[in-house]
Amino acid sequence: MFRNVFWKTLYDQRRGLAGWSAAILILVGLESALWPSMREMTDLQEIYSKLPEELGKLFDLQSMTTGPGFLNAELFTLLLPALFLVYGIGHGAKSVAGEEEDGTLDLLLVMPITGARIVVQKALALFTCLFTLGLALFVATTSMSLVFDVGISAGQAASGSLAMTLLGAEYGALALAVGAIFGRRSTAIGVASAAATAAYVLYAAGLMVDAVEPWRPLSPFDQALTGGPLGAGLPAAYLWLVGGAAALVLIAMPALDGRDIAAHN
Amino acid sequence: MDAAIRTEGLSKNYRSHRALRELNLEVPRGVVFGYLGPNGAGKTTTIRILAGLISPTSGTATVLGNDVVDRCEDVQRHLGYLPGEFVGYPDLTGAQYLRYLAHLRGGVDWSEVERLAKRFELDLGKRFKTLSHGNKQKLGIVQAFMHRPELLILDEPTSGLDPIMQREFLALLRETRADGRTVFLSSHILSDVEAVADTVAILRSGELVITQSVDALREQALRRLELTFSGPPPVDQLKRAAGVQEINWDGSGTVQVEVAGSTAELLRIAAPHQIINVISHDADLEAIFLDYYTARS
Repeated sequence: MFRNVFWKTLYDQRRGLAGWSAAILILVGLESALWPSMREMTDLQEIYSKLPEELGKLFDLQSMTTGPGFLNAELFTLLLPALFLVYGIGHGAKSVAGEEEDGTLDLLLVMPITGARIVVQKALALFTCLFTLGLALFVATTSMSLVFDVGISAGQAASGSLAMTLLGAEYGALALAVGAIFGRRSTAIGVASAAATAAYVLYAAGLMVDAVEPWRPLSPFDQALTGGPLGAGLPAAYLWLVGGAAALVLIAMPALDGRDIAAHN
Repeated sequence: MDAAIRTEGLSKNYRSHRALRELNLEVPRGVVFGYLGPNGAGKTTTIRILAGLISPTSGTATVLGNDVVDRCEDVQRHLGYLPGEFVGYPDLTGAQYLRYLAHLRGGVDWSEVERLAKRFELDLGKRFKTLSHGNKQKLGIVQAFMHRPELLILDEPTSGLDPIMQREFLALLRETRADGRTVFLSSHILSDVEAVADTVAILRSGELVITQSVDALREQALRRLELTFSGPPPVDQLKRAAGVQEINWDGSGTVQVEVAGSTAELLRIAAPHQIINVISHDADLEAIFLDYYTARS
């Protein structure tokens, strides 16, 4: 487990990943368990139609009469994105800036390997962890769907889980890059959280305000959530998320070799 | 062969603060070089530039013939480094941490790790967060020495070590030198450096005050002698002897004399005057260092 920075980072995350995976399983399980009673409510459509139109758009309430629609509205459009963002940003900020603030980065950088290699391995570890959480979400969604007869196919669950993973990866990579450039965990978390909030506001406003609508596809939330995310298939918009995360890693790569590393006191 | 370390006009500014000014330093290979100065003199700044962690504002530094900026990896391959504040990963055991660094570095003979750990009585099975300050420092020492580097750059290495381990550490430094390898050792504690260094450089407010061999410094140092005569001491004659800086006489048969450099002439003058005892105190290097630390600019 201590062969390189990648494996060491995964080793550090082993408990955290187990905890987050368990939390996702419980969350999806509880929500799925509600579905049978929701389905029984015959006047559900009527209730939804009385809610403000904007709210309906934001949580795609029209589709809430189906199992996938119900989980999309309840979990995949706000709560799960938020969870993946919190994990991704926290992990990304810790990756480089955290090690620098803790004072452990010094000895890594004095090893005969480049700072760029450290950044790339840290980023790959971040993506692997998010992929693992995505996998946990996929397993939770499909298995709970079987248990509570939510009617979510493996393909639908896969697209939803992938969307969460990619969204977490983009903002995790942003936190990692900001941390690598500025060397401060708080700056990394602040910038990435602010960027995610701004992107969500753009997405939500785009859904509700016609004037903002043309700008909506620029938001990573739109790229991840439109058409699903459960059951979205494999939209081309996911490529923007992949490209964004990759570009951020490229930006972060030269950062450590190009600046002074703060001494630990 | 190139010097182990050579800096030319090396300067470092942090915003408006000039941490290091025009440092010209040459450390030959195969020596223990003491780098002394009060806290904040620029020792750590120099060391972090040499280790490739920060870039100089101007000037150049070469380590083992490689420029520290352009050929950073070549420098680091042959470098053992102990930071001033050594920190490991709290949840990793000593063995896990050292294996990690050994993998990153490559070419570490694990038996060397075990030998060093045994020598410093360090339990590699304990997690870093459970180690005492001294044991953490020992782990830092082991990681710096485990790949038998050509050059060791150690920032305040003896901090936290008990006297027995300090002695063991100084012995390790001597063996390293006997091996033809080089040690660059920073400290603000003179006795650490004096015991083992061949040459010392003294830094004050970012500027090099002096570079000199420890022997030459001792030559310069004031030596305190107590001369006891059976009759009245020849105070006036003693005052005129070469090197005598000060004489204290309380009217008894004993005078206290402070001499810079050789005491030969003083003793030659004293000898015919029924001298019955001579007590010589060690050269007071401490005084010289304090002088360099504070008075001169």
